[in-house]
Amino acid sequence: MKSKKSWVFSIFIVMLLIISGCSSGNEKEISKESTDKSVTMLFSFASKTMDPHQDWMGVRAGVAETLVRIDENLEIQPWLAEAWEKKDEKTWTFKIREGVTFHDGSPVDGEAVKASFERVLETNEAISSSLKIESMEADGQEITFVNTEEYPAFLSELVHTNTSIVKADAENMGEQPVATGPFKVTSFTSETEVNLERYEDYWDGVAKLDQVKIKFNSDGNVRALALQSGEADIAYHLPPESLEPIESNNKLRVESVPSLRVHFLLYNNANPALQDVDVRKALDLLVNRPVAVEEIMNGHATEAAGPFNPNFAFASETEPTSYDPEKAEELLKEAGYKKNADGKMERDGEVLTLKLATYPGRPELPLLAQYLQGEAASVGVNIEIVTIENIDSYLWEQQDEWDMVTYSNLTAPRGDGGYFLNVAYLPDGALNPGQINIPELNKLTQQLNTTADPEKRMELQKKAVNVIRKEVPHSFILHPHIIVGVNDRVKDWEPGSEEYYLITNKMDVK
Amino acid sequence: MRQAVSIISSRLFQLIIIVLILSFATFILMKITPGDPVRALLKVDDVISTTEDKERVMEEYGFDKPILVQYVQWLWNVAQLDLGESIISKRPVLEIILDKLPATVALSVGGVIALFVIAVPLGVIGAVYEGKWPDYISRWFAILGASIPSFWLGLLLIYFFSLKWNLLPVMGKGTLAHFVLPSITLGIAMAPLYIKLLRERLVSTLQSTYIESAYARGLGRGRILLFHALRGSLIPLVTMFGLSIGSLLGGITVIEILFSWPGMGEMIVQAVMQRDYPLIQGYIMVVGVLVVMTNLIVDLLYLLIDPQIRHGREIS
Repeated sequence: MKSKKSWVFSIFIVMLLIISGCSSGNEKEISKESTDKSVTMLFSFASKTMDPHQDWMGVRAGVAETLVRIDENLEIQPWLAEAWEKKDEKTWTFKIREGVTFHDGSPVDGEAVKASFERVLETNEAISSSLKIESMEADGQEITFVNTEEYPAFLSELVHTNTSIVKADAENMGEQPVATGPFKVTSFTSETEVNLERYEDYWDGVAKLDQVKIKFNSDGNVRALALQSGEADIAYHLPPESLEPIESNNKLRVESVPSLRVHFLLYNNANPALQDVDVRKALDLLVNRPVAVEEIMNGHATEAAGPFNPNFAFASETEPTSYDPEKAEELLKEAGYKKNADGKMERDGEVLTLKLATYPGRPELPLLAQYLQGEAASVGVNIEIVTIENIDSYLWEQQDEWDMVTYSNLTAPRGDGGYFLNVAYLPDGALNPGQINIPELNKLTQQLNTTADPEKRMELQKKAVNVIRKEVPHSFILHPHIIVGVNDRVKDWEPGSEEYYLITNKMDVK
Repeated sequence: MRQAVSIISSRLFQLIIIVLILSFATFILMKITPGDPVRALLKVDDVISTTEDKERVMEEYGFDKPILVQYVQWLWNVAQLDLGESIISKRPVLEIILDKLPATVALSVGGVIALFVIAVPLGVIGAVYEGKWPDYISRWFAILGASIPSFWLGLLLIYFFSLKWNLLPVMGKGTLAHFVLPSITLGIAMAPLYIKLLRERLVSTLQSTYIESAYARGLGRGRILLFHALRGSLIPLVTMFGLSIGSLLGGITVIEILFSWPGMGEMIVQAVMQRDYPLIQGYIMVVGVLVVMTNLIVDLLYLLIDPQIRHGREIS
C-alpha cells in the first residue's frame, strides 16, 4: 500500500514540476514585453523561407522593399525608386533613392538593384516569366530595363513582393536576407516563427518598435485564442465566428477591411445553356448579395459589382446587381424556358439543370453554393452541388463535367487590373477553365497590354469591366474582408487591403 | 547475440522490400490523383501565365514523361542517396526533412511520455478496482479519449490552460512548458487502446497462480502490483507501441499544425497541397524507415526486458 501511495505522490510531484516550470517561463516573457517595445503578430500562411525572392514574408515582415509599391488608396507610388521614365516602348529607367542602405550598411545603387534582379530572374520561374526582362543596365543611381516586348504592365509587376531588392551576394538568404526594410531578421524557424529587430539606419525613419515577432499558425481558432490570451498582439485572418469574445473585450479591437479578393461564380462556356447571356444574367439576378454578406460572411464583406475592389479607380461604378427572382424568371422565359407541370424551367423537354462545383478550402463558398441552390429552386432551376477537394485540377481536367463553380481570386494584387483580365478572360489564360472567349473583351485586354499611359489604361480597364458586366461570364458576389484582431496596446497601425506591408516603421505600442 | 544479429539482418532485408513497395505505391498514387505542381510553380493565382507556360514547365521538370520513367529516375537518384530537391522551394529534400525531423521526434517522445503517464495509472486503476467505480471512470476516459478529435481536444486544452488559467503558452516551441499541451493532446489521443490493453492484461495476470503464490508468501499488494504484475503486463504495450508508431507519426500532423510546432506537419500538408512530389516522396521514405527502425528497436528491447521470450524462441 505504502509503495502505491509514494508512486501516486511522485507522479503528482512531476506534474507540479512541469506546471511550475511553465508558469515561470510565462512570467519571464511577460516581464520582457513590458520593458521592450515589441509586438507579436500571428499570421495564417506559414512561410517556408524568408528569401524575399521566393516568399511574400520578406516584404510583409518589413525586411525587404520593392522599387514601387501601392499605397493605402491602392495607387502605385515611388518607393525605393523615387522616379521613373519610360524611354520608349520597351525601355524603362528608374532612379534609385539616395541614402538607402542594405542591412549590412552597403549603399543601394543601380548595380546592387541589377544584381538583385539577376538573382530573382534566375531563381523564380513565375516572376521571371511575368517581368519579361531582356536586359538591364546600371549607371550610378539609375537602372534601365529593356523588356522583351512592349510591356506597359511592367511597372505594376514591380509591385510584386518577389521583386524586392536584396543584397544579391548575401549568404543564407532563406533565413537572414540582407535587404533594405525597417527590420532585419534575427532568427527564423521555417513555417513557425520569425524574429525581427529594427534596422537603425533605415532610410524612411528608424522604426518605433525595437522588436517584432511573427508566428505562423494555420488554425483560425488558435489565432483568436492566442490574441485573447495576450500571446499575440495582432492576429490575422480571424474566422468571423470567433470574433464575439474579441469584440466584447475592451482591450482588443477588430479591424475589417475589404480585400483585393473576390468570391464569384464562374460559368462554363462549354455548356450550351450557359452560352446564352440571358441564362447567365438570370443566374446573376438570383444571387442575393446583401444576404450573402450579412448571413454568410457575418457582415465582414462588401457586395461586389465587378471583379475589382471598389476602392480602385478602375473598378465598376455601377451598383451591384440586385436580387430579383421575378426578372430572372422573365429572362429565362425570354431564353425559351417554360415552367412545366412540376414548376421546373424546361426547354425542348429538358429541365434546366446545372452542376455547381464548390470546394471546402474557403468554407464560405460551399455555403454560398447551397444558398444559390435554394434560390434557383424557387424559380424552377435545378442546381446540383458537387464538393471537390482539389478544385483546380477538376476544373481543368474535367471541363465537360461542371457547369458553374464558386471560385475566389485576388483580382488586382498589384494595383492594376491587367493581371485578372489576362488570366481569367483571354482564351489561353491560366485561370480560364470555363473557356470564356469574348472577342470585345479580348481586344480590350490586348489593347491594354500595349498601352502605357496610366489614364488610357484606366479607361481601357473600365471599358473591360463594363463588357464583363454586360456579358456576365462571371457573377461577382462579394469581396471578403480581411479580419484582423488587434490588442489596443498597438497604435499607429491598421491592416491594408493589399496585405503587403504588414510591419511598418510607423507602428508603435502604448 | 546470435539472435540479435538475425533480427537485425531480417529487418534490414524487410526495410529494402518495404521501401521499394512503399515508394512505388506512393509514386503511382501521387501521379494518378488529380492536381499538378505546375500551377503552384507558375503561381497562377498571382502572376500572369498562359497554357503555353504550363506546357513549357511540364517539359522542363519531366512531368510529361511516362510515370515509370519518372519513377526509375527517382529510384536511381535515391540509390545514390539523393532524394532530390523540392520543386517549390528548390531546397534539397533531405535537408528540409532533417530540419524538421528533430522537432517531430521530440514531440513524439513527449506524447509517448504523456501516453504512459495517462495510460499506466488508468489501466492499473481499472484492473485493481475491476467492476467498481474507478474502473468505470477509467473506461469512460478511454471511450472519451477515443472519440474526441485531436484538433478539438487541443483547442479545448488551449482554451482552459492558456486562456482561462494562463498556465501554459498557446503555441510554439521553446521552453519545457511548450511541450505540455501538444504532448498531452497526443497522449490522450493515443491512450485509449493502451488503457484497455493494460487493464485486460493486468486483470488476467492478477488472477494467475504466481500472483496468488506471491500473496501466499506474504508480499504486500502494492509490491506485487508494481514488481510482479505490472512488469509482465507492460510488454504488450511495448509491442503495441512498435505497431502504432506509424499512426502516431500520421496523427501528430494535426497537433503540430494546431500548436505551430516546427515539425514535419505543416511541411507535409503544404507539400501535398502544392503537389511537391519529391518532398512528399522523401517524407514517406523517411517515415517508412523510421517505422521499420522503431520496430527493430522494439524487437531488440524484448531481448532485454524479457529473457523468457529469448528462451522461448531459442527452444522453438
